[in-house]
Amino acid sequence: MAKKWGQRVRNWMANKMDLPQDVMMDLPRITMIGQIHIYVENHRGLLSFTDKELRLLLKQGQLLIKGKGFVIKTILPEEILLEGKIDQVIYINDIAGGTK
Amino acid sequence: MKNQWIEFLYGRVIVKVSGKGLERFLNVLTRNGLHIWNVKRHGTETITFKIRVQDALKIRKFARKSDCKISFLQREGAPFLLKRLWKNSGFMLGAAAFIFIIFLLSNMIWGIEINGAKPATEYQIRKELDKMGVKIGKVQFFVANVEGIQRKLTNNIGALTWVGVELKGTTYHLQVVEKNEPKKPEQFSPQNLIAKKKAIIVKMFVESGQKVVDIHDHVEKGQLLVSGAFGQEDNPELTAAKGEVWGETWYKSHVELPLVTKFKVYNGKEQQKHFLLLGNLEVPIWGFGKPEFKHYETEKNVHNIRFLKWELPISYVNKTIREREVYERSYSTSEAEKMALELAKKQIKSSLEEDAKIKDEKILHKAMENGKVILDIHFKIIENIAVGQPISKETPDDRKINNH
Repeated sequence: MAKKWGQRVRNWMANKMDLPQDVMMDLPRITMIGQIHIYVENHRGLLSFTDKELRLLLKQGQLLIKGKGFVIKTILPEEILLEGKIDQVIYINDIAGGTK
Repeated sequence: MKNQWIEFLYGRVIVKVSGKGLERFLNVLTRNGLHIWNVKRHGTETITFKIRVQDALKIRKFARKSDCKISFLQREGAPFLLKRLWKNSGFMLGAAAFIFIIFLLSNMIWGIEINGAKPATEYQIRKELDKMGVKIGKVQFFVANVEGIQRKLTNNIGALTWVGVELKGTTYHLQVVEKNEPKKPEQFSPQNLIAKKKAIIVKMFVESGQKVVDIHDHVEKGQLLVSGAFGQEDNPELTAAKGEVWGETWYKSHVELPLVTKFKVYNGKEQQKHFLLLGNLEVPIWGFGKPEFKHYETEKNVHNIRFLKWELPISYVNKTIREREVYERSYSTSEAEKMALELAKKQIKSSLEEDAKIKDEKILHKAMENGKVILDIHFKIIENIAVGQPISKETPDDRKINNH
């Protein structure tokens, strides 16, 4: 009950007080600098990492990043900075229940 | 990304992890607050990343729970660099010693060259330099500067008129000019002796020539004293007249001496300060604080530091601060008169030849004005008044007429 109330209050606050959605609703915030850097906040963990592909777990679904020569510059519990040549950023929604 | 330099300072380790579930292992590490960066994949089952040194020890605990094998590839950063430096400290020591030795050798005296001196004088100069500490193998810092050497040499060695000391690199070049005592010219050409001043003759020593005047005679300036011509009047034999004619001459001198004089004297108290001069910036090394003296004078000695043939923009400065005191000297009137008289005598003596004597002095006029004693003194001096005058072909005849 309390959690639901909290959710509702948050949603209301985000709408009324003009607060950023990612803070209020635990959505990932993705910042890209051209093709070379991608910075993802609010992820829920690393699923797979090769030099061509990075898969991140989100609160809802996954994020798939494809490209070349990937190097994780920094990784923190909820943030990741990836360097390389990024070709695609794909949201995967349908297998959200399956992986975790 | 966080500041890399902090990690560099603390040290970092490159870790290689191989096995299955690498991503899971990474997640575990990050959730436990370990800072990981530069994650790279090598092949299917291996990744490498960098980690802080303090985290590297914790990583084993997590690795045990997973199916991954970890190994440390490389250690980077300041602590490891220092360790290696320490391990190879012999090298460092050697390099430091090498630079130090080159510095020392660049600032040593390697040669003393003396030009223009006779062997005897050269030996004397070398001995004097030895006494001063200017020797081959000495460090230049502890040797007086060039001007000092020059002054000391000229003062201590009588045979020198002038000595130029120049420091070129590590060699002192001394350019010497010796006093060439002029030899008494052997007078072969005929000459007369004439008076150089108005005088009354007191004594005469004639070596050669014919006396024209006698003791107690009054002579004018330019008057003939000893003739170089004797023999027949029409065809006189000419010689060089030689001798001394001592005459009483008169001088008047005017002296003024203030009763109260202020002198500036050093009272012997001094303070040493040492600086390192970097470009134009003076960095004190030793001797801090302002001088405690009210009146003082500063002597500055700059020693350039050399490295091989280059002069570094760093030099060593030694300052000597000497306290100055104002000393007041006051005379009573009678004392002042006495001192003024002494002063006048000294002045007269310095203007006369060395063998001249003061026979008598008389104060002509005495006055006190504006705190000064003013004296006019009349001196009677006995001095050699004879000077040579060459006889030319025509002059003998003219002179003969004058004499007779």
